[in-house]
Amino acid sequence: MEAPPVTMMPVTGGTINMMEYLLQGSVLDQSLESLLHRLRGLCDNMEPETFLDHEMVFLLKGQQASPFVLRTRRSMDKPGTPWHLRYLGQPEMGDKNRHALVRNCVDIATSENLTDFLVEMGFRMDHEFVAKGHVFRKGIMKIVVYKIFRILISGSTDNTEPLSLSYLVELSVVAPAGQDMVSDDMRSFAEQLKPLVHLEKIDPKRLM
Amino acid sequence: MGVTCVSQMPVAEGKSVQQTVEILTRKLELLGAEKQGTFGVDCETYHTAPSTMGNQGQAAKLMYVMHNSEYPLSCFALFENGPCLIADANFDVLMVKLKGFFQNAKGNKIESRGTRYQYCDFLVKIGTVTMGPSARGISVEVEYCPCVVANDCWNLLMEFMQSFMGSHVPGIPSVFSNKHDSIYSPADTMVQYMELFNKIRKQQQVPVAGIR
Amino acid sequence: MSGVPSVRISIESASEKHVQEVGLDGSETYLQPLSMSQNLARLAQRIDFSQGSSGSEEDEPSPGGGGGREWPGAGGENDEEEEGLVKFQPSLWPWDSVRNNLRSALTEMCVLYDVLSIVKDKKFMTLDPVVQESIPQKQNPQVLQLISKKKSLAGAAQILLKGAERLSKSVAESQENKRQRDFNSELLRLRQHWKLRKVGDKILGDLSYKSAGSLFPHHGTFEVIKNTDIDLDKKIPEDYCPLDVQIPSDLEGSAYIKVSIQKQSPDIGDLGTVNLFKRPLPKSKPGAPHWQTKLETAQNVLLCKEIFAQLSREAVQIKSQIPHIVVKNQIISQPFPGLQLSISLCHSSNDKKSQKSASEKQSPEDHLYVLEHNLHQLIREFHKQTLSSNMMPHPASAPFGLKRMRLAGPQAFDKNEISSLQPSEGLLEKIIKQAKHIWVWGFLRFRTARTIDSLASRIEDPQIQAHWSNINDVYESSVKVLITSQGYEQICKSIQLQLNIGVEQIRVVHRDGRVITLSHQEQELQDFLLSQMSQHQVHAVQQLAKVMGWHMLSFSNHMGLGPVESIGNASAITVASPNGDYSISVRN
Repeated sequence: MEAPPVTMMPVTGGTINMMEYLLQGSVLDQSLESLLHRLRGLCDNMEPETFLDHEMVFLLKGQQASPFVLRTRRSMDKPGTPWHLRYLGQPEMGDKNRHALVRNCVDIATSENLTDFLVEMGFRMDHEFVAKGHVFRKGIMKIVVYKIFRILISGSTDNTEPLSLSYLVELSVVAPAGQDMVSDDMRSFAEQLKPLVHLEKIDPKRLM
Repeated sequence: MGVTCVSQMPVAEGKSVQQTVEILTRKLELLGAEKQGTFGVDCETYHTAPSTMGNQGQAAKLMYVMHNSEYPLSCFALFENGPCLIADANFDVLMVKLKGFFQNAKGNKIESRGTRYQYCDFLVKIGTVTMGPSARGISVEVEYCPCVVANDCWNLLMEFMQSFMGSHVPGIPSVFSNKHDSIYSPADTMVQYMELFNKIRKQQQVPVAGIR
Repeated sequence: MSGVPSVRISIESASEKHVQEVGLDGSETYLQPLSMSQNLARLAQRIDFSQGSSGSEEDEPSPGGGGGREWPGAGGENDEEEEGLVKFQPSLWPWDSVRNNLRSALTEMCVLYDVLSIVKDKKFMTLDPVVQESIPQKQNPQVLQLISKKKSLAGAAQILLKGAERLSKSVAESQENKRQRDFNSELLRLRQHWKLRKVGDKILGDLSYKSAGSLFPHHGTFEVIKNTDIDLDKKIPEDYCPLDVQIPSDLEGSAYIKVSIQKQSPDIGDLGTVNLFKRPLPKSKPGAPHWQTKLETAQNVLLCKEIFAQLSREAVQIKSQIPHIVVKNQIISQPFPGLQLSISLCHSSNDKKSQKSASEKQSPEDHLYVLEHNLHQLIREFHKQTLSSNMMPHPASAPFGLKRMRLAGPQAFDKNEISSLQPSEGLLEKIIKQAKHIWVWGFLRFRTARTIDSLASRIEDPQIQAHWSNINDVYESSVKVLITSQGYEQICKSIQLQLNIGVEQIRVVHRDGRVITLSHQEQELQDFLLSQMSQHQVHAVQQLAKVMGWHMLSFSNHMGLGPVESIGNASAITVASPNGDYSISVRN
């Protein structure tokens, strides 16, 4: 039996080629309140929500240079919500016309045995952390303000300590590829958060 | 959602797959079962790419990614004797991204398609199992909807299956015995289908010329 | 100009030591007193020579005429020059000015001597008495006084006028400021009730229900206008407000949703125009309405538009046996054959033309206020649903979306569970259902009442009582029907019916638990009630016979042949008198 030409595997379902547009920044703990206050005013009229998530980052090493990274997240304060498995592609800085960092992304909601399954697939856990903070929404824009907590004993989320004295602020939009207009909205929203926080497109490669 | 038993119906002597399916469906219709559209279960096989093997020093494992029309928004990923992950349809997109690590064994794609019948509290799905262009066998799925504890309704299921499968009633599925008294889940159905498909794959092609 | 001679007071310094400075400890440092010569020099420096010469000037005129007048003037000029010099070199010598003045005095004396000696000869120079213009000069001071008085009065008046002007200006300014303040306070009040934002130099507000969960695409923006530049001279109208709002033109006027049920369907050609007329607008008070009422009406117009847009979208999308018709501002649906539910959007702008037509075409309208109210309620519910479905994702990295929809994948929802996630029936379906119920209910309410009335007027004996329940569901209400015979209520309580009026049918529950389902056809209920009444009569006879001691010979609830009808067959009873002489047979 002749194998069909391997061009592209048939995709049975799902939404292909989604992009995450991202701007990042940070605030010190003491200016958190004023930032939250402003966000409450700017964002959609919803009850502000807090979150407490446990994120684990898994690596699959092949013979290729870069390992395959998958992120898993589960909500610790809202039991019963599905686990979130996330693939993020290589970030593209883009030119000046695009005001946000862009990376390919695949969002998958899964059952709770995700970690076991990833291990079965050959993935190894690289690192884990607890993220605790606030989430806001403005149209399709998501704004998360959170602090990262280091997990002292691997696997136990009871024992954590804050990683820094500041909060990470992320403004993100997930949209089909090619919709660079959303980055304009993001830029104008980020403008309104100045000078409390400066959201910029931060190239992770530069930091390494 | 209830308890489901998936089994294989051997092709009747001197009959084609299609003819055997027709005999079965006629029996069901005579019982008074109502036709309720069609169903489909498919299964893709992935094996770890040679590049990742050796590096990890582990044996080649096969991963199956399955879909069931009964659960249209879900995607099931399984390992033999391993965990079954239930995810949403975006998992298929992830498998495209994982192309470098997991290769789709194209020729191994196997699926079962057929008609869905309802008889009181039972759902019966008679499907033709095809692999590539050839029909390989017949799958019979019987679900007893009002119950979720597998062992409690096995006898009932068996009795009902006897009414139209005659002597070809299968033994108790292994997922049932593993379950003890815990709740039956859709993943168990998929495990049964995976086992059925694996069994059929290993079988010789049906001697009688298959239909498309 | 006080005409009182001033009292001259000479002030001399006390011969005390002058204090130069006072130390912090209170000790005083004194200036050394001037020595005699120093004091003399100081005093000499203070001598005002010009005063002396001017004094001589006054004394002189009578003997020496013009010449005398001339010279001192020249001397004065000289003097000034001298003094100017002194000023330039002040510290030459303390006696310098004295010397200079003395010298100039000497010069003058010499000149005077010379002149006098020449005059004495009467050769070259003569002295003539000059005609003194003393009379006019004497009057002059008075005129001058008058003029100067006038002048100073005018000056004072001018100052007063200037002050008044400034005062009035400042009053106007403060009024302007007050108005500005009023605008700001009004703006503050506006801001407490409405969403505002500043775009450029404009203030824009939002009257849409977007923040409440509406998905209606109308932007619903209004503009806040400062209304401060009114004419200051004119009287400010009482309802003057420094803040005004400008609402989009398509939201002006007032609107409402009209729901009505008609029995006969009118000509299709008339559709859409029939309901264009509107009730006359309540006579608005002269002047512009307050911004709050203005905005509220506009918001109401917006909501009505949204309801109608939603209904018409559903009307087009939903497939029903009898298709819904959307014509202009009207949606027509047929909940029951021969019955027409019409929902129309009545929007009246404030222009005179429409008001005219409104007054022309006034007719009693069959509003179904309950349904109109329920439509508003339903759209609010709809809004709330969209708001609550927009849950925040957990974990926070997950994409937005319905929470239950996210569960559908990993929990392997089957088709039924997924379809239950889909939004249930729409606004139109709900309102049609309610309309059906209302119709059945209304029909029952009125028809049964009429039936009862007509029956009561025809036949007095069985009485029908209907007890309507006040508490209803939108889709269901109930009524209890009692059939009694007057005077025998106690002995005969055979018929008690509970009528549950649902969406499309009426369920009748007997006292014995039998359930009969009737359709919405009124005849069916009428027949049923009549048969119940006749049954009641037979029962009444039975009960009465028992009480009176008659013997019951036979009783049957179901006479005749064939299967039992659901509403009951004819019943019959035969009773015999106690002594057996008479027997009565009753059949309905």
